[in-house]
Amino acid sequence: MEVLNGWWDDYFWGAVIVAEVFITSLFLMILFGLLGAGAKLSENRIAQKIGGAYTVIFRGTPEILVILLLYFGSAIALTAIVQVFNPDVKFVDVPPFWAGTIAIALIVGSYATETFRGAFLGVNPGSIEAARALGMSPLQTFIFIRIPEMWRLALPPFGNHLLSLIKDTALISIIGLNETMFVAKQAITVTGKPFTMYIVVGLIYLGFSTIITLSVMGIEKYGNRTTVGAR
Amino acid sequence: MNFDWNLVAESLPQMLAGAGITLQLLLVSGVLGLILAILLLLMRISGKFYLDWVAQVYIYVFRGTPILVQIFIIYYGLPQFDAVRDSMFWHLLREPTGCAILALTLNTGAYVSEILRGGVLGVDKGVLEAGSALGMSARQKFIYLTAPLATRLALPAYSNDVISLLKSTALASTITIADMTGIARTIVADTYAPYEVFLSLAIVYMIFTLGIQKLFARIEKYLGRYTRREE
Repeated sequence: MEVLNGWWDDYFWGAVIVAEVFITSLFLMILFGLLGAGAKLSENRIAQKIGGAYTVIFRGTPEILVILLLYFGSAIALTAIVQVFNPDVKFVDVPPFWAGTIAIALIVGSYATETFRGAFLGVNPGSIEAARALGMSPLQTFIFIRIPEMWRLALPPFGNHLLSLIKDTALISIIGLNETMFVAKQAITVTGKPFTMYIVVGLIYLGFSTIITLSVMGIEKYGNRTTVGAR
Repeated sequence: MNFDWNLVAESLPQMLAGAGITLQLLLVSGVLGLILAILLLLMRISGKFYLDWVAQVYIYVFRGTPILVQIFIIYYGLPQFDAVRDSMFWHLLREPTGCAILALTLNTGAYVSEILRGGVLGVDKGVLEAGSALGMSARQKFIYLTAPLATRLALPAYSNDVISLLKSTALASTITIADMTGIARTIVADTYAPYEVFLSLAIVYMIFTLGIQKLFARIEKYLGRYTRREE
């Protein structure tokens, strides 16, 4: 284990970056998932088509391809846009953090779209009728009836999406984000111990996965505290 | 910034030349992974706590870490040990293809065993009671009742996992394998045209995904031919 001396702090900061990517992409993923579910559930034909295309495209393409396309593609697009205003600019660098975070949020968001859609459809119609009978507006119904009922239904598959999200962060090392995989690569060039270095990365991810699984279990218990025996 | 259709026409045949390797990775690790999954399932429902425990730890570790880390541990990590280099498996582990197949098999096996377990748990208890009443042994009940019914129940989730496996094969490109994604990355490195190359490859993967979905829809229809309701 002596080979690991001197690398702990690098691994720690790598893990911090993994956590940053995870939290940022978590918010984006929920946003994309809600937008996708909203589009698919809307009455508007065009919105339905866009929502459908979104899920087909991002669930049918390998994650690594989406990340590479977003990273290299956005660099070219941004360069072209900037050159319109300032022709002297040769190339615009896109930070791998943002390209990667948005990419994995889009991918997992496409899965979350289906989860959220199913959960919204699973809301008891009786509750919505009751809300209407009480004179609640559609917005009030959405906030006080639909959301509280739907998140409990969505939570178990949503927990799996969180695990996909944390594991997909490892792919961002391919476009050069200095997270744990990247740290391991550097450590290997110095120490020549690839097994040890990658096992550490595996253990870090196992730790993250465990924390997420336990948190989801806790939230699930909290969410169902008033429905004991009902389900 | 123009979309170069000539480049698409030029690069598509090159990328499709890698389709054989992509399909080889998918089929070999798909079949081996299914065998591993059945073994893990039998361990989990064996009733022997030490077998169950080993399978649970295995599943926990392989589902809790990114597949990219698993691939790197096997390809870059294992040669760290002289015992591996001297063993009879070295000629397989020396080659990236062998490593990719091993990693994908170990990974998909963990996921599929959980899907199969879901199917087994979903089998109606009444059917098993009927089996007991007919004097069937535990083994007979598993082979003639649980297995066929669980297969039907698990099939939709299993098809999703085959699609995940297809997407995971793209990660083989990170260990120098010239599958479709590997070839695409080489072309992009030469031409710096990510849109043309990656977008057309994404469409190829989507067609593959669609093919897998259609295939499984057929199998599902065939296996459910006795349970279909009269219209």
